[in-house]
Amino acid sequence: MKRRAVWGVILITGGLWAQGCAAPEPSQDLLAPTEAQMKIRSVQTRVFDIADRQQAMRGVITALQDLGFIVERANEPLGLVTAARFAEPNYYDVVGVTVTVRQETPERMMIRANAIFNNKPIEDPKVYQNFFATLERSLFINTNKDNTGEQSTPRQ
Amino acid sequence: MRAWSLTSIALLCSIQLAGCITPTEPAELFQLTAESLQNRAMQTRLFETSHEKELLSASAAVLQDLGFQVEESVLDVGFLRATKERSAREYGQDIGRFFLFVLSLGKFIMPVDLHQKIAATLVARPIDPKGSSREIRIMFYRVVWKGDGQADRQYLPPGEQKMEMIRDPVLYQQFFAKLSKATFLEAFTL
Repeated sequence: MKRRAVWGVILITGGLWAQGCAAPEPSQDLLAPTEAQMKIRSVQTRVFDIADRQQAMRGVITALQDLGFIVERANEPLGLVTAARFAEPNYYDVVGVTVTVRQETPERMMIRANAIFNNKPIEDPKVYQNFFATLERSLFINTNKDNTGEQSTPRQ
Repeated sequence: MRAWSLTSIALLCSIQLAGCITPTEPAELFQLTAESLQNRAMQTRLFETSHEKELLSASAAVLQDLGFQVEESVLDVGFLRATKERSAREYGQDIGRFFLFVLSLGKFIMPVDLHQKIAATLVARPIDPKGSSREIRIMFYRVVWKGDGQADRQYLPPGEQKMEMIRDPVLYQQFFAKLSKATFLEAFTL
C-alpha cells in the first residue's frame, strides 16, 4: 500500500515536471494578418474631408493637447505624431498614442490612431470613437460617412 | 475590549483601502472633461502676430532662460519640446524618513525623491484662416525618480518612477509674462 502511494507521488510529480518542460511553440501565423487585425485597423482609421495635410496634423495635435496628452514627437514629412499621458489619478500607468496622417486622395486625409496602455495595445473600439469625436471637433469638419468602415482601411 | 478590537479592525481596513486607487479606464482618458477646458484656458494664450517663426524662437529663448534645453523642434507644425533635470530632494521627506525609521524600530527606510526631469511641450498654431493671430499652448510635466529604501528585510531598489502633470497656474503665468516681454506682444487669455 505504501509503495503504491510512493509510486503515485512519483508519477504525479513526473507529470508536473514534464508539463513544465514543454516549451510553448511560437505559432506559425504570428505575423500573418488575421480577421481581428483587419477589424481593429478599421476601428483605428478614419477618413476626413480635408485637403491640407499640415492643417490636419495641427488638428490632431490640438485634439491630443485638449485631451491632456503630452506631444512627444512630431514628424511633418511623414505625418506622424506621438503623444502620451499619465493615466491619472495614478502615477505609474502611461497611455501612449501614435497618430499618422496620410493623404488618401488630393482632397481626403486618412488618419489612423494606435493607442497603447503601458505596453499593451488598446483594442477597445470605444477608445478610438472617443478620440475621433474629439478630433472631429478640433478639425471643425464633418467626416465623410460613406467612407468610414471597410473602405477607410488603408490600401495594401 | 470588543469595541477596541472593532476599532482596530476598522482602522486596518481603512488603511488597506487607502492604498487602492481605482485605475482609470483608457476610454475615459480619451474623453474631454470639464477639467480639460480649464487646463486649456490655463495653458493657452493668444498673440496677435502673423510671424509664427519669431514666436517659436522667442518661446525657445524663454525656455532656455528658464533653464530648459530644447530637445525637439518641428517648425512645420509649430512644435517644441524642452526638458531640464534637477534634484528632487526635499527636507520634509528626509525628516519623514527619519521619524518612520525610528518609529518602525529601524525596520522601514522610506524611499525619498531623488531626481526629477521637468519637461515642457509647446505648440504654436494659427487660429484664423488669415493667420493674423496665433495661439501658444504649453504644458509642463515632471517625472520623479525615487531612491532606495528598505521594508523589514526586503531591499527596495532605487529608480521607482512617479509621473505627474504640473498644474500650478503661477508657473504658466510666469512663462507667458516672459514670452510677452520677449516678443513685445500682449498675451491674451482665451
